[in-house]
Parts: sequence; C-alpha cells; structure tokens
Amino acid sequence: MAYQLYRNTTLGNSLQESLDELIQSQQITPQLALQVLLQFDKAINSALAQRVRNRVNFRGSLNTYRFCDNVWTFVLNDVEFREVTELIKVDKVKIVACDGKSKYSSNYCESKATSNLVFCWCLFV
Amino acid sequence: MVEPKLYRSVIEDVINDVRDIFLDDGVDEQVLMELKTLWENKLMQSRAVDGFHSEEQQLLLQVQQQHQPQQQQHHHHHHHQQAQPQQTVPQQAQTQQVLIPASQQAAAPQVIVPDSKLIQHMNASNMSAAATAATLALPAGVTPVQQILTNSGQLLQVVRAANGAQYIFQPQQSVVLQQQVIPQMQPGGVQAPVIQQVLAPLPGGISPQTGVIIQPQQILFTGNKTQVIPTTVATPTPAQAQITATGQQQPQAQPAQQQAPLVLQVDGTGDTSSEEDEDEEEDYDDDEEEDKEKDGAEDGQVEEEPLNSEDDVSDEEGQELFDTENVVVCQYDKIHRSKNKWKFHLKDGIMNLNGRDYIFSKAIGDAEW
Repeated sequence: MAYQLYRNTTLGNSLQESLDELIQSQQITPQLALQVLLQFDKAINSALAQRVRNRVNFRGSLNTYRFCDNVWTFVLNDVEFREVTELIKVDKVKIVACDGKSKYSSNYCESKATSNLVFCWCLFV
Repeated sequence: MVEPKLYRSVIEDVINDVRDIFLDDGVDEQVLMELKTLWENKLMQSRAVDGFHSEEQQLLLQVQQQHQPQQQQHHHHHHHQQAQPQQTVPQQAQTQQVLIPASQQAAAPQVIVPDSKLIQHMNASNMSAAATAATLALPAGVTPVQQILTNSGQLLQVVRAANGAQYIFQPQQSVVLQQQVIPQMQPGGVQAPVIQQVLAPLPGGISPQTGVIIQPQQILFTGNKTQVIPTTVATPTPAQAQITATGQQQPQAQPAQQQAPLVLQVDGTGDTSSEEDEDEEEDYDDDEEEDKEKDGAEDGQVEEEPLNSEDDVSDEEGQELFDTENVVVCQYDKIHRSKNKWKFHLKDGIMNLNGRDYIFSKAIGDAEW
C-alpha cells in the first residue's frame, strides 16, 4: 500500500477535483474514483523514488513541530530553499513527512497530510 | 525543480493503469479521456507552464489570446457549420449556451469568451459540463456559467468558483449578453433542474463589477413553446437585488425586491456593522449578538466592540487561509534534535512554494526552534 501522502499536491488535488467532477456528473462511481486514486498513489510513489534525482537544502527557524502516528509536521518561518540552480525564500512553510522507512502506516500518513487530525483510525484494506 | 516531463509521465502511467479498471467497470474510454483532459487542464491552470499536445489546449491558447467581445451570432453561425474532425454532432437537441463577452480591461476580473470553435468542440464531443468548463481554463476564480443540454435533455451545470458558489462577473463595460432559446425541445414535460442564464442587457442599476449568483430553476415545456421560468439571480452587492426574468420567450432581467426584509435597528447606533446592507440577515444576527453583549456591559461602554474579542491570541490564522500555503509533502529519513537545533533529512518530496511546484529526491535542512 503506497503512501496516500501525495494526494495533497498540485498533481494529486487536480486529479481529485477531476474525479469529483466526473462523479458529480455521474460518469464514474465513487468506487472507481477511489481505485484511480490508489493507482495514483502507486504511480507517484514510484515516480518519485525512481525518476527524481536532485537535492535541496533549506534553512530556517522552526515555529512548531509535531510527531504523531509516525508523522512529522513542522512549520518553519523565514525559510530559504537552496538548489544548485536557484534559491527560493518563503515566510512560512509547512512540512509533512511520513516515515521513509516503513510503508505500513500509509493511512495514518494520508490523514496527517491532508487533514491534520490528531487521531485517526486505521483501515487496512 | 520540477520537470514537466515527470508530471506528464505520471499522468500517462496513471491513465494507462486505470484503463483496465475503467473497462472492468463498464465505463467508456471517453470518460477516461475526459478525466485526463480535466486533470491536465487543472494542472495547466495552476502552473501555467507547459503546453499539452491536445487539441483543447491549442484552442485554449487561442481563446486566451482573444480578449475582444465577439459577435454571438457569428458564433452561432459557426456553431452550426463547424464540425470537429474527430467527432460528429449527433445531438438532437440544440444546446443552450451562455456566452459571456470578454472584458477588454485587465483590471477587472475577466471573463474570457469561449471561442465558437471551442463551443462547437464541446458540443460535438458531448463532453460533460465539467470538462467544458475545464477546457475554457479561465483565470483562477472565474469560470463561465454554462449549460449544456445533452441528448437526453439533461442539463448539466458548469460552474466553479472558489467558494463553491456560482458567479458571473460582469466586465466594466456594458454587458452584452445574448440568449439563445432552446429550440426544438421535446414537449412532454422534460423537466430538470436547470441553471439558466438570462441573457439580456442588464439595467444600469446593477453596478458593473458585481458578481451574480445564479440559482437553478425549472424549465417547463408546454407544447412547442419553451417557457422559461425565471432564474433568481442574486448579487452580493449591497443592495442584494435579485434579477428575475419574466417567463417570456424574451426574458428580461429586472431587479426584484430584496431577499431579506429591511430591518430597522431600534437599539441605537454604536455598532460596527457596516452601513451597507450587504447581507441583511447576517447583519441582523450580528447586531443581535452584539446588542446582547452590550446590554450586559455598562452604559459607558457603548463604544467598545464585542467584548473579549481581542483577548484571543490566535496565531496568525489568517495566513493559513492564504491562497498559497507553502507545503512540502515528503518522507523523512532522519529527524535530529540537539537542544533547540533541529536537523532534517528528508526524501522524495513535492514542494509547493510561492505557487510553484518543486520536487526533490533528498532534502537536508536546519532550523532553530
């Protein structure tokens, strides 16, 4: 089960919105949409693992940190992201990070990333 | 940095992988293509980077470059004659289109007139309303209100706005709206919840930059005559006037009475509610609450506004509601802390910073708490 973490990205959100529209117009079932999202999870996870090869450094000040259900959530202020090619500065950034080693807490991770719930229950599909 | 190719390849992979699932579910391939189109369009809208090699995108570019109001009748003419190469026009019923002329001024929120070809394309392909809205790819927050009447007589609404409401922004110029009556509708009581725009030159009473909310009404078909039940159009302007169209074949937009009855405030002044009756009911409730609080306070505190309203130390919650929340979604290899010095070792992340997307395979960071 791949992390559902990446659903809350531009790519993931646009997919979810598109699926929602199709559900609204009753062209697909919610069940089908869920299948698509699960497939998206797999695809994006593997794409990130295999097709991306670059490094980024960043520095800033830590505003808040939270570690719950093996998910780290940070809020940093006045951050500079540095890549070889460019420098990006932001006033505030939220970082949501799931455990890179264990893939078995995917559902927790998804809820953390998307809704920031303090507690959640785990559904093993 | 994000390579567009990566996103492209992910989309391709997903679409190909779910093709089987779609077919198993008995869903047409065309729906799959529609999903892909919607997806790509949304990506385009948000990043304004790559072009896709689909037809819609090229049409889209043409539309975006045309900022002049175009004659509708000319379009209708086009509408009937043009046929898209790939698809036929099997429709029995004509579609009713709402064409909004584009604003020539960049200041006001613009509504881009969909090109006739685009309309035709959308009609021909029998795309759902949602897809057509996506293909129009209007600037963020502004979408056309469009109705598409398919063969089955099912009217699909296509409206999207930030808060889920349906808006039409009128350009600063006088609005030139036209209406296309639904011809040849099958009599016999085809009823469906419909959003129907009443297109008519709106009276000058409506301020130019008002947003217009359209709510669905029903259309009753009696015989061959199509009788349009007025749509209630509420503007969020101060007056909150409603535009209701009379049920003629030439509906006219007229400002109607206000939605909420005018409530006179009898408890004196000293409240901070805006003078404008922007939202009467809400103001009324707020006034009530404020008045109760004031009653609890002493007379000398008439000037102070809701008590205890400044006691909360909210941590810049306004920023959270901001448009671009910079988010990094990733996995962590190692998180280290020494006193108040934190070190982050992250991997496989997607970042959205200042509205743009970035991806990394590894990220190392430092921060002080």
